[in-house]
Amino acid sequence: MLKTLERFREVNNTFPDNEILRGAKSQGKKVIGWLCTYLPEELLHAGGCLPIRITGYQQERELTTGDAYLRINTCSFSRSCLQILFDYGNNFIDGLVGGSTCDGARRLFDQWSMYLKDSSFGHFITIPRKYTERSHQLYYKQIVNFKEHLEEYLGKQITDEDLVKSIHLYNESRELLRKIYQLRKSDNPAIAGSELVELSLAGFRMPKELFNEYARNLLAELETSNRKLSGRVRLMLVGSILTNSQFVRSIEEVDALVVADELCSTTRYWSDPVVLDGTPPLQALAKRYLNNFPCARMVPLDERFDRIIQYIKEFKVDGVISQTIRYCVPYAHDLPLLIERLKEINVPVLSLDVEYGSSGSGQIRTRVQAFAEMLEGKKK
Amino acid sequence: MTPDQNHNHKMGTLVKSCRILERMNRSDDQSRKSYSLYFRILGDYFQRICTAVEQNKPMVLHTVFLPPEIMYAMDIVPMHAEMSTWMTAIFSRENQSLLDKAAEIGLATEVCSAHRGLVGAFALNFMPRPNAIIWSSLMCDNTAKSGELLMEINRSPGFFVDHPFSNTDDEASYFIDEMKDLIGFLEEHTGHRMNWEKLSQMIERLNHQIDLAREITELRKSVPSPFPMQRFLEMLMHYYLLPGQPDAIQYLEALRDDLRYMTANRKGAVTNEKYRLMSLFVPPVSNLVFLNKFFEERGVASVIEPFFNFWGEEKLDPNKPLESLAQKSHLFPEMSFYGLFQRKSLEDARKAAKEYKVDGTVFYSHLGCRQAAGTVKFFQDTFAEEDIPFLAIDFDLLDPTVASESEIKQKLEQLLEVIDDHR
Repeated sequence: MLKTLERFREVNNTFPDNEILRGAKSQGKKVIGWLCTYLPEELLHAGGCLPIRITGYQQERELTTGDAYLRINTCSFSRSCLQILFDYGNNFIDGLVGGSTCDGARRLFDQWSMYLKDSSFGHFITIPRKYTERSHQLYYKQIVNFKEHLEEYLGKQITDEDLVKSIHLYNESRELLRKIYQLRKSDNPAIAGSELVELSLAGFRMPKELFNEYARNLLAELETSNRKLSGRVRLMLVGSILTNSQFVRSIEEVDALVVADELCSTTRYWSDPVVLDGTPPLQALAKRYLNNFPCARMVPLDERFDRIIQYIKEFKVDGVISQTIRYCVPYAHDLPLLIERLKEINVPVLSLDVEYGSSGSGQIRTRVQAFAEMLEGKKK
Repeated sequence: MTPDQNHNHKMGTLVKSCRILERMNRSDDQSRKSYSLYFRILGDYFQRICTAVEQNKPMVLHTVFLPPEIMYAMDIVPMHAEMSTWMTAIFSRENQSLLDKAAEIGLATEVCSAHRGLVGAFALNFMPRPNAIIWSSLMCDNTAKSGELLMEINRSPGFFVDHPFSNTDDEASYFIDEMKDLIGFLEEHTGHRMNWEKLSQMIERLNHQIDLAREITELRKSVPSPFPMQRFLEMLMHYYLLPGQPDAIQYLEALRDDLRYMTANRKGAVTNEKYRLMSLFVPPVSNLVFLNKFFEERGVASVIEPFFNFWGEEKLDPNKPLESLAQKSHLFPEMSFYGLFQRKSLEDARKAAKEYKVDGTVFYSHLGCRQAAGTVKFFQDTFAEEDIPFLAIDFDLLDPTVASESEIKQKLEQLLEVIDDHR
C-alpha cells in the first residue's frame, strides 16, 4: 500500500465537488477547464488561473444529458464530459478552452458554448495536424491569440516572466512523473499501471504546486520501498483516453504487469518538457505542444508508431492492448496499420472496443486473460 | 495489406450504367432536358478515369472538398474518392462486400461507412489504381485519417493537405501554402506543370457555376416544388466532381431551364404535393429510389437542403486563383458543419423554413458522422421554437442494415401524422 498515493485518490474521488476547487474559487482564482493535451495549461497557470482538465466521469455510467445533446454516435468520452459540465454547471468552472483536435471535442465545445457558456470565458484553438515549420507558425499564432484573449478576460498582462515560472513548475511536474514512470522499466516495478493512472489523473485536477509536493513524496516513498510487483507478462496500453484505473487494475488482476502506455491521460500528458534554452516562452510552448508524443489525429502516423515501438523496447513489452472508445475515429483508423507495424517486430496486439469509463470486467477481462495466456505461452 | 489481385476494377460497370441511363432519359419534354445530360456528364467523368488508367495518364485520388480544379488545371485526371467509390458500389450493388472487406482489414464499424468502404474498395481492387493519393482534414476526422491507410493499400505516394479549422487570415494563408505544396507534389509525381491561366479560367467559370446553383436554389421556392428528392445527388455532383468545368455549366443551365419551365407551368416534382419537407444533412443515398417512390405516393416534396445549396453571396477572384480556392473552401454550403458551429446556420435554417414554406424538417443523421450528430439538438430546439415539426432519423448513408427502408418509412409516416395534427 502506497501511503502517498492516497492523497491523489482523494482528489480523484471527490472531484469536481471538492475542497481544492472550492478553495481556489474562494481565493478569487478562475478555474478554467481544458479539453485536450494540445492546449497549453501553462498559459492559464501564468494568468493566475487553476487549469482543470475536463475528463467526464471516471466510471462508465448513464449519460442521459450527454446522449440527448451529442447523440450516441459521438464518443462516450465527449458525452461524459458534457454530462459532467451539465451536472456541475458553472459552479465547477469559470471557462473552457477547446481545440480542433477531433470531431467529438469540437462538438462538445459547441454544446457547451450554446447551452452553458453564458458570460464565462471560452476560447477555441485551431490545432494543425502536421509538424511542419508552417504548422508551428500557425499554432504559435493561435497561442498568441489565446494569450491575448485570456489577458482581456482576466484584465491583466501575462508576462514572459510569469510564463517562464509556470513552465518551470510544469516541467518539474513532468520530470517527477517521468521518474515515477521510469520505475516501471524494472522487472519488478514498485508501482502498478493502475496506480499511475490515478496519479496522472490527479495531476490535471489540482494545483501543480501541490501536485509536485505530493509527487515528490510519492517518488521518495517508491525509491525507499521494498515493494516488488510481478506478473507473467508485460503489457502496454495504447489508444483512446482512459481515466478509470479499475480498467487497468482488471488487467493486472490476471497476473499481468501494465508497464507502459501512450494514453493522453497519462504518458502523452507529461512526456516531453518545454525546452526554453533561450527560446521565447510562447514559442517554446507552441513547439512542445505540437511536437509532443502525438495523438492519432496527427499526420503522418509514423511519429506516433515510432514512439510506441520505442516504448515497447525500453519497457520490455510482451504485448499491446489497444483500447478504442467506440466512435473514436482517429484511433480506429490507425489500428490496422499499427497492428501491421507491431507484427513486424513480433509484438501481438489485443484490440478492444470499449466505452469510456469501462472497468474492464466481464468479456473484456476474459479476452485479456486469454491474451495474457497466449503471450505467456509465446515466451516459453 | 496489398490489394487482392483477382479482381478487375468495376468502374466500367458504372460507365455502362450511366450510358444506359443517359439513353433511357432522353426526352423532348421541356421539363426533362437535364436528366439525360446529367448521366452523360457523369459517364464522361468516370470514362476519363478508365481511359487514364488504360492509357497510363496521370490519375489522382482525392478526398471530398480538396479542390479538383488544381488537377484539372494540371491536366491530371481527378478521381473523387468518396463519390467514385460509392457510385460504383451502388451501381454494381456491392456495398456490403466493400464494408465486409474493411471489417476484415480491421476498421471498426464506427468509422464512417463512406470511408470504410473506400478502404474495402481499394483492398478488393474494385477501383482503378491511382498514381497518387491526396487527402485533407476537410471535412472530418475520417477524411483526415483515411489517406495513410489508402496509401498503404495502393502502394501509392500521397500528400496530406492540412485545412485549418477557421477562416482567419492566418488560416487562409496557411491553406494557400498547403495548396502550393500540393501543386509541387503533383508536379513531382506526375511530371505535369500547373497551368495558372487555365486555373484562373476555371475560377471564372466557377463563379458562373455558383450563380447557376443559386438560381436553381431560388427556383426551388416554388409551390409546388419542381425538384424531386431523387436528384439530390446531382446538386452535389456538379461541384464535387466538376467545379469550373464546362460540363457542369452546361448541365446546370439545362437544369435551370427545366425548373423554369416547371415553375412557369406550375408543375410539381410529385404528382399531388401535400407536404413540404426540408432536409438537413444527407438523405440515405442508397435509398433514394425508395424515398422518391414513397414521397410520390404520399405527396411529399423535399423542397430544400440548405446546407448543400446555400452558397452565400461571395464572388471569387479569377486573378487570385489559390486565394479563391481557399475562399471556396469556406464558401461550400456544407461548411456550416465545419469549424465551430455558428448560430447563423440556425438562422439560415429558420429563414429557409419560411421562404420555402416548409411543413416539417428531417435531419438525416448518418451514424458515422459525428459532426452532424452533434448539431441535431440545435436544430431540434430551433424548430421547436418555430413550431415546425422536426424528425431526426438515425441511419447509415451506405449500410442499409443500420436502418431498413421500412424503419425509415415508419418514421417519416409518423412525421407526416404530426404535420397533419399540427395543421
